[in-house]
Amino acid sequence: MAATLEAEYAFDAEDLRSGAKIVKFAVIPKQEEQSATQEHQLASFETMMLPHMDAAYNLARWLLRNEQDARDVVQEAYLRAFKSFGGFRGSNGRAWLLTIVRNTSYTLLKKNNAIDLTTTFDEEIHASGDELASPSAILEYEENAELIKNAMNELPAEFREILTLRHQEELSYQEIGDILKIPAGTVMSRLARARAKLRECLIGHISQEK
Amino acid sequence: MNCEEIKNLIDAHLDSELDPVTSQKIERHLRDCGACEQRYKVEAAMAHAISRAAPYYKAPIGLRERIQLSLREATGAPSRSIEKAGPLPGKRQEAARRGVLFELQWKWLALAAAIVLAAIIVSTLPSRLRQPGGDQFLATQLIASHVRSLMADHLTDVASSDQHTVKPWLDAKLDFAAPVLDLSNDGFPLIGGRLDYLDNHSAAALVYQRRKHLINLFIWPTTPADSKGEATVRQGYHLLRWNDGDFTYWAVSDVNISDLQNFKQLFEQQKALR
Repeated sequence: MAATLEAEYAFDAEDLRSGAKIVKFAVIPKQEEQSATQEHQLASFETMMLPHMDAAYNLARWLLRNEQDARDVVQEAYLRAFKSFGGFRGSNGRAWLLTIVRNTSYTLLKKNNAIDLTTTFDEEIHASGDELASPSAILEYEENAELIKNAMNELPAEFREILTLRHQEELSYQEIGDILKIPAGTVMSRLARARAKLRECLIGHISQEK
Repeated sequence: MNCEEIKNLIDAHLDSELDPVTSQKIERHLRDCGACEQRYKVEAAMAHAISRAAPYYKAPIGLRERIQLSLREATGAPSRSIEKAGPLPGKRQEAARRGVLFELQWKWLALAAAIVLAAIIVSTLPSRLRQPGGDQFLATQLIASHVRSLMADHLTDVASSDQHTVKPWLDAKLDFAAPVLDLSNDGFPLIGGRLDYLDNHSAAALVYQRRKHLINLFIWPTTPADSKGEATVRQGYHLLRWNDGDFTYWAVSDVNISDLQNFKQLFEQQKALR
């Protein structure tokens, strides 16, 4: 155990000084033992986390709406995840990885000054006008992939992510709450608002088509 | 329940986050109230639209290799197979990040990806053929029931660590006599029992504790459709299934898989002693 801790510590310090330079453990004794430990850790990390790569990419892709950025973010997220993997004690690897993917995505969104980070959605809208929308009109379009995709992409990031986590990853309120760092009750109300907003966008598209 | 209450719960109902009793109440109301039913249908249509029609973006080919390469660079671990492909250009980190490396080595990566893909297909094909979609659905149901039992404060209908209390209670409610065993000497104390309804039949749910974790053990008489045994991981939960000719067992928990295997063994041993 002592060897593991030392190795991690040495790794972090070296990493800070040299950017992402390849780290050697030359100054520390028991070098072979340590790199064996790290190889072992890498192997268990990959076994546990690589199966969630599609989930990671899908979330990043919806958040960033761009293939190249999504690829870079997922790769970066895996690196970050590996660095803090030593501290991961939970059993839900997917939720943990998605948390990191989300944070990494937001870092990039903020850097690019993405305007859709927060909701500018008027709370009153869906309380008033929505009753007019005929459910059958919406039901008619629920299988129209292109339409749904475009409508989803119009939503602010916090709606895109929560809809993806709930309806594509099928995570529970609790799991979503853990990822988004909000209580389960807020998950419920945000999901409701996201679906209402999606409906609104869909109606907009449908009436344009007609 | 009145319409206002229904309105507040309808989203949680749609997302299967309510306990079965409340869900049933809502369903009853929806049957009788056209306005609420309409509202629910639209909500459900939105949910379906996303889960069925919205694209699920799978990771592009080559991303896995890119990730593995960058992990190896960051740790300095030898990337044997990659080095065999020839010396890599300088500034490897940056190159990999920008995807330049991917382009330079695309032939090798494409080959590797094809091999990995073929291996995945070959290794999962038999299990896919064996597993009908129903199993996936059942696994989802089992996890939902496990999670609900923890969330909705409805862990047990009969809370007792005494198998001689739990068993008669369950026997009276079910049309089969599920084995109820106490494993507290082996570190899996019995917490109680609960009735459940899964895969279109009644099931007994026994609740065991393992340190701070809970294990739900679902039991029902084996039907011809039930397959033998299997361990799966879904949504971070471990599911372990076995059957002993009479009953099908599903253990669901967030304990690690070896604990769950151990639990299964102990349960089988104890049962054999009877």
